[in-house]
Amino acid sequence: MEELISLKEITVTAQSYEILSQVSLGIRRGKCTIVMGPSGCGKSTLLKVAAGLIVPDRGKVFWEGEELSRLSEKKLRQFRKMNGFVFQDAALWANRSISENLALPLQFHHPELSASEIDRQVNGHLARMSLISSSPLRPSQLSQGERKIVSFLRAIILQPSILFLDEPTSFIDHEMLEKMMKVIGEYRERSCTIVAVTHDAHLTSMIADDLAVLKEGRVLASGQLSEVRRNASREVSAILSQVLSQAATYDSDLLDLLGG
Amino acid sequence: MIGELGLWFKSKFRDFLYACGFLLNVLKESLLFLRQRQVGFRVLVLQILFTAVEALGIVSLISLALGAVIIVQGVSILPKFGQEQLLYTILIIVITRELGPILTAFIIIARSGTAIATELGNMVISHEIEAYLSVGINPISYLVVPRFLAVTVSMLLLTFYFNFLGLFGSFFITQLISPIQFGEYFRNLLSSLQVVDIVSSIIKSTVFGIIISFTAIYQGFKVQASSTEIPQVAIKAVGQGFVFCILADAVITLIYYL
Repeated sequence: MEELISLKEITVTAQSYEILSQVSLGIRRGKCTIVMGPSGCGKSTLLKVAAGLIVPDRGKVFWEGEELSRLSEKKLRQFRKMNGFVFQDAALWANRSISENLALPLQFHHPELSASEIDRQVNGHLARMSLISSSPLRPSQLSQGERKIVSFLRAIILQPSILFLDEPTSFIDHEMLEKMMKVIGEYRERSCTIVAVTHDAHLTSMIADDLAVLKEGRVLASGQLSEVRRNASREVSAILSQVLSQAATYDSDLLDLLGG
Repeated sequence: MIGELGLWFKSKFRDFLYACGFLLNVLKESLLFLRQRQVGFRVLVLQILFTAVEALGIVSLISLALGAVIIVQGVSILPKFGQEQLLYTILIIVITRELGPILTAFIIIARSGTAIATELGNMVISHEIEAYLSVGINPISYLVVPRFLAVTVSMLLLTFYFNFLGLFGSFFITQLISPIQFGEYFRNLLSSLQVVDIVSSIIKSTVFGIIISFTAIYQGFKVQASSTEIPQVAIKAVGQGFVFCILADAVITLIYYL
């Protein structure tokens, strides 16, 4: 199947330390790619490079065959508009209320929408996650889990066709988690391309088509889930069992899936 | 030693080129700002409110005090040399051409320069800048341009206000200490005021506004990874703002007298 986003020999450095080293990865259109690896192995950086939020020091990122760094401003805006990104630390705009955090992308990209229509859409999203009473609050007044959900809602407010999720389910309680899973499932059914960094075995077993395993800034294995499972080296299996060990205590779906 | 010096020079030159590129980008986006949608205008209005309107109190106090001091000193000293008429020329040169723009610049550096550098630095650390990018909002056009334009416009407006209050308002304070005839004061003041004084004030305040806003924005965006960098960039924004404004002031004044 056609690759929507391709990373070619990506290297990202910070203070002479290589966060990503010669990483190549293909993200298939309409499929869900899960990125796994131990903490600090460069998963979030990989996600940001794929979303065009970080410019790599070396290597190229292609979107529909076109190099991201060479896109015209108009095309780059189009690319970003069709992306939704959930940040690991939520990254909500601190000086705006929760409803303003959700409204801004709509106001910016859809100036034709009236204020009441924007309010309707924002309230609809908040109500779905039982957060309507939090709409006038500032992000600092919410719990970490609630902030994560608002970040997720902001990512889907423009109905993107590519979703980048960085640990979307962390800090979230069971009830909220079920609601979020449902929304993610709906996006998956709509053939939305999803790239997720997660340690959540349940989420992975529910949506994963492809899997990439990272260690120390390098891709150890990538491809379709079944392929990775079939060809998993001892090192890859060790990383997966390490990453998933805690989650597997509660949910063994993925380990079963991987034959672990 | 020479090698280290070379590396230092190379790194400074690279920083300088980067700053020039960043400034060009800000200027380009500023020109496009009027064509953009309403969303950025709200930020512009809020910034003007913070930079200009909220600074009116301190600007009023300083301009009135300065104008009154010059008048009181002039009225006491100049008659001893038979140069009473010089009072108005001194008043205009000191307030309109020199101290009006530079003191207003200092006030804006202290209030808005630090605020902008700190706010942007915090936004970098908390990944808010990346969040703007992720939803397709260009941080240069949405965050930088409104601050750049607001500080520049506010600097111009506050300098006018400073000059006006320094020249005219201080007259009323002076009446409490050393009364001067109302008609005589304004007639002499207006006859001493030349177009070049006003032009000089406009040029200086515009240049200072660009310097202050750009320095603060550039320093804010230089924050990379740690919240301890934020006070450092705020101090740099203030220090560099002062230095560059004084240098620009000297250059503009020299050009006038050449």
